Order: sequence, then C-alpha cells, then structure tokens
Amino acid sequence: MTTAPDCIALENVALRYRTERGVIDALTAINLTVAEGEFIALLGPTGCGKSSLLRLVSDLVAPTAGRVLVRGQPALAARRANEFGFVFQEPALLSWRTALDNVQLPLEVMNFPAAERVARCEQLLASVGLLKFKDNYPHEMSGGMRQRVAIVRALAWKPSILLMDEPFSALDELTKSQLQDDLLDLWNAERKTVLFVTHNISEAVYLADRVVVMSPHPGRIKAVLPVKLPRPRNEALRETPAFLAYVREARDMLRS
Amino acid sequence: MNGPDNAVETRGRTIDRVLPPLIILCVVLAVWQGAVRLLDVPPWLLPAPTDVADRLLKTSNLWYHTGLTVLEALAGFVVSAVLGVLLSAGIVHSRFLERGVFPYIIVSNAIPVVAILPLLTIWFGFGIAPKIMICTIISFFPVVTNTTRGLKSADRRVLEFMHSINATPWTIFYKVQLPSALPFIFAGFKIAASLALVGAVVAEFYSSDRGLGYLVITSATQLRTDLLFVSIVVLAALGVMSFSVFGRLERMVTRGEDAEKAK
Repeated sequence: MTTAPDCIALENVALRYRTERGVIDALTAINLTVAEGEFIALLGPTGCGKSSLLRLVSDLVAPTAGRVLVRGQPALAARRANEFGFVFQEPALLSWRTALDNVQLPLEVMNFPAAERVARCEQLLASVGLLKFKDNYPHEMSGGMRQRVAIVRALAWKPSILLMDEPFSALDELTKSQLQDDLLDLWNAERKTVLFVTHNISEAVYLADRVVVMSPHPGRIKAVLPVKLPRPRNEALRETPAFLAYVREARDMLRS
Repeated sequence: MNGPDNAVETRGRTIDRVLPPLIILCVVLAVWQGAVRLLDVPPWLLPAPTDVADRLLKTSNLWYHTGLTVLEALAGFVVSAVLGVLLSAGIVHSRFLERGVFPYIIVSNAIPVVAILPLLTIWFGFGIAPKIMICTIISFFPVVTNTTRGLKSADRRVLEFMHSINATPWTIFYKVQLPSALPFIFAGFKIAASLALVGAVVAEFYSSDRGLGYLVITSATQLRTDLLFVSIVVLAALGVMSFSVFGRLERMVTRGEDAEKAK
C-alpha cells in the first residue's frame, strides 16, 4: 500500500453514554473515510449523533469501540498538533473580549508572538469585512457578525481541518446564504478538509462534495450521497434542476 | 435594571440619585427630633438625633473601637476570600473534592457561629485571633458557593473550543473560567464582607473589652442609649461603605451584561 492515508478515517466507531436512565447509543457502527481537502456535510435530524461525530474526530470524547484516525494517527495526536478549527452553532465568544481579542485567543494559547497575533487577526477580520468592528464587544455586534468572528477565530492558526457544528442554523436566511458563500470562497482558496453538521438539506447539498445522511436511535450512517455539482458554486445553482434533484434525493434518503 | 428607560435613569446626574433619599432622611430625623422633644421622651429610652450626634463627636475612643472591629472583619474576610476562591478552584477541577468537601461547607453554614465562639475562646483566648476566625467562618460560605457557581458558569462551547486547541487546564482556568466567574465572585464578596462585619461584632459581644461590639453591649447594659445609637450608626456606615466599595470593584472588573448573569 503506497497511497497516502485518508485525512479522517472512522473504523467501526461506536459511542455509548451511560446515564441514570440507562444506556444511550449515540453512535453505532460508523465507517467513514474523508479525503484530504474534501467538504463533507453530516445531515440528519436532532439526536442522530452528528455533533457527537465531530467530538469524536476532534478527540473531545473517546469512542466506546472502534478507531478514529486522522492522517493515520490517533485523533489525539492531531488535536495536540492543533489541526482542528471548531465552530459551533452559538458563536461562543468571550463576552469580556473585543472581536480582535477573541480571534487572538487561540494564538495566545499557542504562544504566538504578540505582533504577529495582532497583524494576522486584523487581516482575518478584514477578510470578513469586520476590521472596523475589531474593538467591539460581542454584545455590540449582530448575530451574523459574531458568527463571522467565531469562524475566523477557528482559522487563526491555519488548522487543516474545519469542524462546523450547525454554524449557520441560528442565523436569518440572508445572512446564512451570505456566510455559506463566504465559506465556499474560503474553502476554494485553501481547500481545508471540512466536516459540516447541519439539519438543513439544501445547505448540505449546496456546500458539500458528499452528504452523509444519518438517522437516530441509535445514531448511524444511513446513506452517503456524492454531490457532483460543478464548482465554484453560487446562488444561481439553487434554482437548477440538478440541484433540486439532489435535494429531493437527500430528502428521500432521510425519510426512508 | 430591566429596560433602556431604567438604564438612562440610573445614568442620570448624581444629585438626582442622592437627593430623594437625603430628603427622606431629613424628614425622618426631623420627626424623630420633634417627637422626642414634644413628648419629653427620656434619653435612656430614645435619645434625640442631636444627642446622638453630640455623643458621636464626644466619644474620643470611638475610632479606636471602630478600627479594631474593621481590622477583625477585614482580616477575616481576606482569609476567607483567598481560601474560598482557592477551594472553589479545586472543587471545579476535582470531582472528589467537590463531593468530599461540599457537604461540610453546607454543614459549616448550618452551625450557628455563636455556638462555636466559646470553643474558639477556650482555644485561642480573648484576643483578636478568635474574632478573625469567626469572621472567616461566617463569610466563607458565600465566597465558596458563588465562586464555584461562577467558575462553572463558563460557556460549555468555549471550554470545548479550548480543549479542541489543546489548551492546558491552567490556561483554561485563567483565560476562561476565572473571567467568567468574576461577577459571581464579587457578588459573593459583597455578601461575605457584610457577614464578616456581623461576625466581628457578635464575637466582641461574647468576649471582648474593645471594639464596636463591646461598645454596643456595654452601652446597652449601662442604658447609655445615645452611645448605643452611635455604635449602630457607625456599623451601618461601615456596612454601606463595604457594599459600595465592592459594587464599584465589581463594575470595574466586569462589563454590564456579565453582571446581569450573576443576578
């Protein structure tokens, strides 16, 4: 075997929680490989374990069974090497820090020199049109602006893998589609590996190379839908029959 | 503060905030003064405000007693603030410590401090040490409960983010948990400081020949009601001062919307 290892590989992974009301199988028999630079959407209803999957990949929780490998190594090694940029549904910013200082947080933790920190973070804020808000506190910004800050915070140290847990689901439609396009631009430019959790079918189809359809009780992978739509993608794509066919197919997979 | 109107009002000029309570105070004092003079109330029962003011100025060793009580309360408070915050940090990081220590903290709060006083006096005598200990014991509970609650209030997502970038527990503590806890810690300090003052006075009731608590007890037994009132006025002033000092500190280290969480 001379091929390079997959970026992310989950082999027979299971995750089981013990609670006071009994055992909950959050995930069972998960097998999934993600190629370097691939954009994967994890699509499913609430409780199907798609968020748990992100936590397994980033070594925030350990699997009850099976293996999680990142570039052939245990996920722990990748976490130690700061390969993961995590974005949540809520911006999860520090309320006592300005936008700029929030973006700097991971760089402080990783001991980047101060001058480089500021220069890099100002550039990142500028890239999402927020440079003039760099001294604003989170409560002085809109939901969309806060989420932009959270996204560039997860990019500040140039991690190779982006883990996004329903990052746009709390935003209004207009902001959402704007941020989706921003994310695609970013991905086109840097080709990071992305795991994107969502319960929005059209969002999954619009963004991803492959849509992984999941179902709950116990959480498992139901089907994988490769989306062979041309890139770069833009708003016009949403009206095309090909796009709508993929959305219909994904919906049927979810329902069956 | 529950609305923009209210917020504007509180930001109004100082005089608008100070004047109404000042007017009320003057009216109360005037009625009191008038009633005492008119009804010819004996001073041992209720001295007139002017008599109290007179006594306040004439009690030469008042500031010595006050200083001693403040010293005891302050020392006790500082000890409980330092120990309390440290213990809370331990509790948040160790499930064993949380389960092992918390029941005793609750028990310590349930025991009336007055009941421990004789024991501490047997062990440590009539000096300042047992008084400081009482102040520490009585003010410990609000520090620990508030700080623990505050440290646990840190956003779960932020903590996950910190773990995902491999931050050490110490980094997470001082960059995320401690700043999240500050409004709670200061709310706890505010309560603890007033309790420490209560502790000092109660301890002086039991065994002391100096301090404001001693002044209260002796003036009461000798029916020197004017001196009793003086002691009460000084204690009230101390309480208000500590409250406003911690309120100001709280506002200095936190931002408005953080403080909302602690309420």
